[in-house]
Amino acid sequence: MAGFLFALPAIALVIGFIGVPIGQAVYYSFTEWNGLTSTWIGTSAWTQALHNSNLWTALQNNALLLLAVPFALGLPLLIAMLLHQRVVGWKIFRSIYFLPTAISWVVLGLVAERFFAYHGTLNSIIHVIGLTHVSTNMLGYESTALSALGITFVFTMIGTNTMLFLTGLATLDPSLEEAARIDGAGRWRIFRSITLPHLSRFIQLAFVMTVIALFSALFSLIFVMTGGGPGYATTTMEFLIYQTGFDQGAFGTAALYGLILFVLTAIVGVVQLRLIGSEE
Amino acid sequence: MGRWVLFAVMVLIAIVMLYPFWVMIATSLKSEAQFLSGGGFSWLSWKNLTATIPVGQEVVSSTIVCTASILIILAVGLPAGFAFAKLRFRASTVVFLVIVSAMMVPLQAILMPEFVNVTKLGLTGGYLGAIIVYAALGTPFSVFLFATYFRGVPDELIEAGIVDGLGYFGALWRLVVPIAIPAIATVTVLQFIQIWDDLLVGLLFIQNTSERPITVGLAVLAAGRTTSIPELMAGSLVSALPAMVVYLVFQRYLVKGLTMGIDR
Repeated sequence: MAGFLFALPAIALVIGFIGVPIGQAVYYSFTEWNGLTSTWIGTSAWTQALHNSNLWTALQNNALLLLAVPFALGLPLLIAMLLHQRVVGWKIFRSIYFLPTAISWVVLGLVAERFFAYHGTLNSIIHVIGLTHVSTNMLGYESTALSALGITFVFTMIGTNTMLFLTGLATLDPSLEEAARIDGAGRWRIFRSITLPHLSRFIQLAFVMTVIALFSALFSLIFVMTGGGPGYATTTMEFLIYQTGFDQGAFGTAALYGLILFVLTAIVGVVQLRLIGSEE
Repeated sequence: MGRWVLFAVMVLIAIVMLYPFWVMIATSLKSEAQFLSGGGFSWLSWKNLTATIPVGQEVVSSTIVCTASILIILAVGLPAGFAFAKLRFRASTVVFLVIVSAMMVPLQAILMPEFVNVTKLGLTGGYLGAIIVYAALGTPFSVFLFATYFRGVPDELIEAGIVDGLGYFGALWRLVVPIAIPAIATVTVLQFIQIWDDLLVGLLFIQNTSERPITVGLAVLAAGRTTSIPELMAGSLVSALPAMVVYLVFQRYLVKGLTMGIDR
């Protein structure tokens, strides 16, 4: 009984502010709702929403952004391997590499905007390497804005994922690699047969965290970099929910979109729970 | 030879990772005219900063929101973690799993009902609404982390405390909390960075512009596209500093928190 009382405040907080709203979202997804009054319109709310092309654009943008995930995992893995070689000053390098992790994605978005701008760093680099007549403005065009967002996302994830992989590498017994080397195994072979399998749990965790961030943490970047545009080129599910609810006042539709996002992350979440569960 | 190539590559990566800081510093040290023409140096943006962006007041707001939310998360998470680890009750495993699953629910998924509920409670004016939402979002992870941590505490220690007449609360406060300092630090650091850097909750749940946290203030000015970029960059630097300091000082707790549950 004491145990229950000790857990009660946490249970109440989580149920009241996470559990109950999920239930409400289900109810309101079948209504027309402006935040004050709601009218039940049944499944037609869903058929209408599913026929809205903006929803499909947003889902497509989310799917395309998934292409950034291999880079958001691969680059950190490479960087962690480099750090793990422990060259002179590796601890300083480690701190530098992790530093952007502390900065808000609002600020990183502002910096990224400067990077991609017409008079920004990207064009300076292009001009320095000799392509003086080429100028890009990636955030200004529907065809390239999403790529710019994806590149920014990869940058923002580097710190966290490198940290995860480096922790994983630190738990690897160096004598294993040593033994393999004596047996004549090459670097690639050691990486594939010893390092990678050892890191598998860390890679899974990083994968889950990266995908969840992709679905639910891009809001800040989109808000300052593109506002979802040009057109709907960088409107992802989470941003569509915000726009539908707060720009258009269609609370019911926004709640419905929220449920779709909920299901998408739940699928990833199940993988995560398995990961935690398999430990116990 | 190989070592030098490696070193060079690492310097190159360091340059890329330091790029945001270079942009913020270099841009903030120009006037708007100099920024547009490309060259020059000026302290003007820093002198005008507080007139354009109320950074002082916004830093205070961010600090209040962060501190209050974290205190609630700890006050609620510590006893719950203790209960799930040591004072099992009926269906506690199921309840624990439900709370842990809530970690996976993104705020956007429940944004509309949440916003309307908190508005109806009359809490979306000042700090309170945002504090409660941050506390609710941070609680599942802290419960998970504390429960995992407390499982490593021997039962005998707690039993001895209870026999000595401390009671459950006394056992938690006098015996368990003191050895849980690393876990408390982990939760505090992770949540501090998370909340300090967050936009969505502050943007929607704090309607009074005079109580806006700094990250929200910056984002709103940036999205408005009328504020001078050098001043915006100066403000960004101010907003980034506290989180960076916390981060550099408590780096190891952050790593611990991220890999909690899989690094044993």
